[in-house]
Amino acid sequence: MAEAAKGAHKAETAPPRMAEAEGTPEAKAFLEALRAKVGDAILEARTRGREVVAQVRPDRNVEVAQALYDMGLEYLNCLCGLDWVAQNRLEVVYNVSSLSHPVKVEMKVFVPRDDPRVRTVVPIWTGANWHERETYDLFGVVFEGHPDLRRILLPEDWMGYPLRKDYEDERMPRFDAAEKKRRARLFSRDAEAPAEGEEK
Amino acid sequence: MATRVITRPPTADELMATRASETMEEMYVNMGPQHPSTHGVLRLLLKLDGEIVLDVWPYIGYLHRCHEKIGENREYIQIIPYTDRLDYLASMYNNFGYVHAVEKLAGVTPPERAEYMRVILGELQRIASHLIWLGTFGLDLGNFTIFMWCFREREMVLDLFEQVSGQRLNYSFFRIGGMPMDFPEGWIGDCKAFLEWFKPRLKEYDRLSTDNIIWQKRTQGVGVLTQEDARAYAVSGPMLRSTGIKWDLRRNDPYSIYDRFDFDIPVGERGDVWDRFWVRRREMEESIKIVEQGLRDIPPGPIMAKVPTAIKPPVGHLYSRVESPRGELGDYIVSDGSKRPYRYKVRSPAYVNLSAISVMLPGCLVADAVAVLGSIDIVLGEVDR
Repeated sequence: MAEAAKGAHKAETAPPRMAEAEGTPEAKAFLEALRAKVGDAILEARTRGREVVAQVRPDRNVEVAQALYDMGLEYLNCLCGLDWVAQNRLEVVYNVSSLSHPVKVEMKVFVPRDDPRVRTVVPIWTGANWHERETYDLFGVVFEGHPDLRRILLPEDWMGYPLRKDYEDERMPRFDAAEKKRRARLFSRDAEAPAEGEEK
Repeated sequence: MATRVITRPPTADELMATRASETMEEMYVNMGPQHPSTHGVLRLLLKLDGEIVLDVWPYIGYLHRCHEKIGENREYIQIIPYTDRLDYLASMYNNFGYVHAVEKLAGVTPPERAEYMRVILGELQRIASHLIWLGTFGLDLGNFTIFMWCFREREMVLDLFEQVSGQRLNYSFFRIGGMPMDFPEGWIGDCKAFLEWFKPRLKEYDRLSTDNIIWQKRTQGVGVLTQEDARAYAVSGPMLRSTGIKWDLRRNDPYSIYDRFDFDIPVGERGDVWDRFWVRRREMEESIKIVEQGLRDIPPGPIMAKVPTAIKPPVGHLYSRVESPRGELGDYIVSDGSKRPYRYKVRSPAYVNLSAISVMLPGCLVADAVAVLGSIDIVLGEVDR
């Protein structure tokens, strides 16, 4: 495990930064309205273009989701997980938009890696069902209150969560450092490039 | 809301109990994973009361191949060939969605001519994809002739693609920052000739499908999806439009140069299988219009922007979406400033559309299950990733 974490990208030690483009007036007004409703649940929020990017307290995600739904964002585009292994936390990202509203929202929730739990948003956006199952399947995030939380892409008896950065499958071949280096070069277009992990 | 309650599949004990019961009022039936009309390997567990479907649980993942994990271990440009294999019936559009996302993240603007090439190839791909859908859907309904006819024209589109990229199916023809090669000499003429050949063919298909009483009876009023359910499940593409919602990302959230083209967005009325067919059928006409405008307006000039060989987008994250033949193809990319994406997620339209089968199928006859499933237009390569 430790070895895999070492091999991961170094830049992840920096906290995830949100892009700084200026937001449109609609997005800014939307963020103000959202703050007025559930301001205390929002840890950090900014606008970029037509999008509002908001980091939300993990225990209040359903509240914010309901507020977003009530404000007209009825369409859950995407829900996915992210593993920030160096900060020892997982992230759940909700991309929400509307079929009539110009504003899009990206809601982010950070949960600890050893006990990742958030409440489900299936009662609000039914389409979250499979997305949450997938995030559970590949990252191990437990969505409390989900009506049917099973693995979806992997077999039911699979062990571990493959999209976590430190995931290792015992059945996979193991390579020593020299072989790893050789293979990293093999998959790099630039033959002179240093192997993964030695970068920078 | 009652229709949208998510139920658990039966446990092994419950399955055994129904098998042991003498009345056999309720029965569980497996459809697939090896079934000609599941278009790949999909298993549906159906709960039946006689011939009526009461509930359905799809089991997917038979084709899961860790697309996203592979993506995290490849350089940005090396992912392009993998995107071909997502939706292998619309590879051009998967390329399109991916390179568009990376370009937005890295702040690269492709040259004008490359954008036109993308739109032309993308719309031809939409025609090819809808053709294969129409053909296999006809096969699902027992209409073999339309299958042969559609494949004949699809093969012509593939020939055009082969002239451009050298490949029939997995083109990998888009690059971050533009296109690798221009159209070969005489290609635009060939493309125009194909469109002229293709337009009257649509009328021929109509004689086999639209005007066919059996086709109408098999599809009309079957597998209805309401607007509320479509929104709740975030269904997209022709399935969303068939419910009467006029929503097309090419028009409502224009990307690339789609705002320059004049085309209509066909919508349905009731959201049944017929409407899904009819929306796709008319979309082919709109795609022809777009290709014709593209061929007319395409400017000369460079086809590739100046981009470094190893693209390193700045630290950031982005959700970008395009309208693939199946619906909203989203790419969520998180960059940590290195050569490889830190996280690369594909929101595949077929995955989301398939999840809505649990509101469309209950209440249908078993015989219609095939029609409903076929009308979603799933590609398992994209569902399972």
